[in-house]
Amino acid sequence: MVLAQLGGSISRALAQMSNATVIDEKVLNDCLNEISRALLQADVQFKMVRDMQTNIKRIVNLEALAAGTNKRRIMQQAVFTELCNMLDPGKPNFTPKKGKPSVVMFVGLQGSGKTTTCTKYAYYHQRKGFKPALVCADTFRAGAFDQLKQNATKAKIPFYGSYMESDPVKIAVEGVERFRQENCDLIIVDTSGRHKQEAALFEEMRQVSEATKPDLVIFVMDSSIGQAAFDQAQAFKQSVSVGAVIITKMDGHAKGGGALSAINAVEPGVTVFRTISFVVPLVCVCVTSVAATKSPVIFIGTGEHIDEFEVFDVKPFVSRLLGMGDWSGFMDK
Amino acid sequence: MFQSIAGNNVLEKSDLQPALKALKDRLMTKNVAEEIAEKLCESVAASLEGKKLGSFTRISSTVQTAMEEALLRILTPRRSIDILRDVHAAKERGTPYVIVFVGVNGVGKSTNLAKVAYWLLQHNLSVTLAACDTFRSGAVEQLRTHARRLQIPIFEKGYEKDPAVVAREAIQEASRNKSDVVLVDTAGRMQDNEPLMRALSKLINLNSPDLVLFVGEALVGNDAVDQLTKFNQKLADLSAVPSARLIDGILLTKFDTIDDKVGAALSMVYISGAPVMFVGCGQSYTDLKKLNVKSIVKTLLK
Ligand SMILES: Nc1nc2c(ncn2[C@@H]2O[C@H](COP(=O)(O)OP(=O)(O)OP(=O)(O)O)[C@@H](O)[C@H]2O)c(=O)[nH]1
Ligand SMILES: Nc1nc2c(ncn2[C@@H]2O[C@H](COP(=O)(O)OP(=O)(O)OP(=O)(O)O)[C@@H](O)[C@H]2O)c(=O)[nH]1
Ligand SMILES: [Mg+2]
Ligand SMILES: [Mg+2]
Repeated sequence: MVLAQLGGSISRALAQMSNATVIDEKVLNDCLNEISRALLQADVQFKMVRDMQTNIKRIVNLEALAAGTNKRRIMQQAVFTELCNMLDPGKPNFTPKKGKPSVVMFVGLQGSGKTTTCTKYAYYHQRKGFKPALVCADTFRAGAFDQLKQNATKAKIPFYGSYMESDPVKIAVEGVERFRQENCDLIIVDTSGRHKQEAALFEEMRQVSEATKPDLVIFVMDSSIGQAAFDQAQAFKQSVSVGAVIITKMDGHAKGGGALSAINAVEPGVTVFRTISFVVPLVCVCVTSVAATKSPVIFIGTGEHIDEFEVFDVKPFVSRLLGMGDWSGFMDK
Repeated sequence: MFQSIAGNNVLEKSDLQPALKALKDRLMTKNVAEEIAEKLCESVAASLEGKKLGSFTRISSTVQTAMEEALLRILTPRRSIDILRDVHAAKERGTPYVIVFVGVNGVGKSTNLAKVAYWLLQHNLSVTLAACDTFRSGAVEQLRTHARRLQIPIFEKGYEKDPAVVAREAIQEASRNKSDVVLVDTAGRMQDNEPLMRALSKLINLNSPDLVLFVGEALVGNDAVDQLTKFNQKLADLSAVPSARLIDGILLTKFDTIDDKVGAALSMVYISGAPVMFVGCGQSYTDLKKLNVKSIVKTLLK
């Protein structure tokens, strides 16, 4: 519904601009207002949208542009670049290597999908030849250990946890130690859900991190989150060194089953519209989390099953978001 | 903010626009869905257009007052449901009162179901839990843990059973044991997932619960509109019986995680017309409250 219209509004705004005979302040403002509206509808933080507007206007300083320059192209390119920048903070600060033991810790708000995503992440790497293991450092949520245990068992991944011990730091340390000895090269630590308003919960997270010295901390974020996203994500980043983001539950925005597979479609154009309705909300959540954590999105979750998990790449997503074949031309020029 | 002081002038749309735009933006920063903020502003505009503005009244404060009234009206439930009274009525009839908890993944259905159980126990009612999330890993053990802590019976059949059937058997067992209330936990599902929505519709049709509670998290943004619309729409469309059961009420969770961004409450009520019956504001049994409409309105307009 709302989301399906979004991709439409962005591309319509750009198309309208293309159709205008004279590009002046008003045409630019109309276009930017339309795009801003689309981003706001997809829960991008209010202030960020305003900043984006300002940035684009600065790049496209209409009066400064020499006569004869292609204003339209410059404007379109500015929109494209700005969206790309909002999404791309560079490479993740760490990628696991086979045979070299590393520890990856998952953090995030309650119910965002950490436990499910831990197993997906482990399974993904297992199929690439890694030797992963799962540690359940969530001693708070009812049934947390059973959940991880059942997931791990289905995927044939070794796991560690306890029904008795209530100290997550102790379990995390023991689990990591055990799997180091067993020569696992990807030790994944699942933690309880928490939120910035409870300082004690953040302190606990900091302690687990300090005790296990993770090579990478992954922040897991639910794609349906609204205006609270930025503050929460930023608070996590300020407490532990978040290095990457995974966005979950993207299947909630799929309009019709085809949209998901459209993501992987090689030919743009045919499925552009369905793809867009899927990609726009994704890009918007990503923009927010990336801005708050200064870390890249590395995967997205697209379902409850273990293989419903996809690598995330900024460039192809953004170029498909905006358009479309003619847009890809802007990147190289 | 807006200085125009219009004495005895008839209000026109263009007079209202700047104040309404500012108000809409404010609602959106408070996490009201864009579509809802827009509709609200339109209706406020319609209610004010053509009215005379008293001398020395600012347009912005006139708009603000009209919006405040609109918000109060929307958030004040039209249908009021008194669960405790209805439970006692069911008790007189000799049948257990059945509540089904539904919603998308991870919003807090199971946890808040346990809080509602605790609240009912405090009112000296007997409660049975029905473990009808037969899909998600650990869901049955999660509910069992709550049952043990609250020392109440749980009806469960493990995983991969038809949840509609498990619910029916749970209600039968609760009837035999003279339980006052049955709380039915269901698996989380995305509003677009046709097979899972069909299964939910079946569970509801087969068991005609007294209350279908939609559990939604206060963290949700624009998706709130889509979630509630689709849950209602799918329950209506996929129902095998002529008069389908829809969402009766809302349980708003994770209210402790959003500071002043309270807009989801408004989006959910506006789009569904269902009242917020409980607000979850933490992870322990006592963290369940009633919605304070006045304070929501105040926060939204601040
Ligand atoms: N549809 C869908 N559901 C998902 C996805 N990822 C996770 N879930 C579901 O979301 C719910 C919550 O997931 P969990 O993995 O338990 O979340 P968590 O962050 O570990 O929760 P806490 O430990 O309580 O903070 C479960 O029902 C999962 O099956 C996804 O990509 N798509
Ligand atoms: N801060 C906070 N956390 C909550 C609240 N309600 C639930 N949670 C947490 O949210 C997470 C998910 O809760 P569940 O009850 O498992 O959610 P669910 O909707 O049953 O999840 P699925 O069955 O997997 O769809 C848990 O970590 C809960 O402790 C609340 O009001 N505030
Ligand atoms: Mg978990
Ligand atoms: Mg549950």
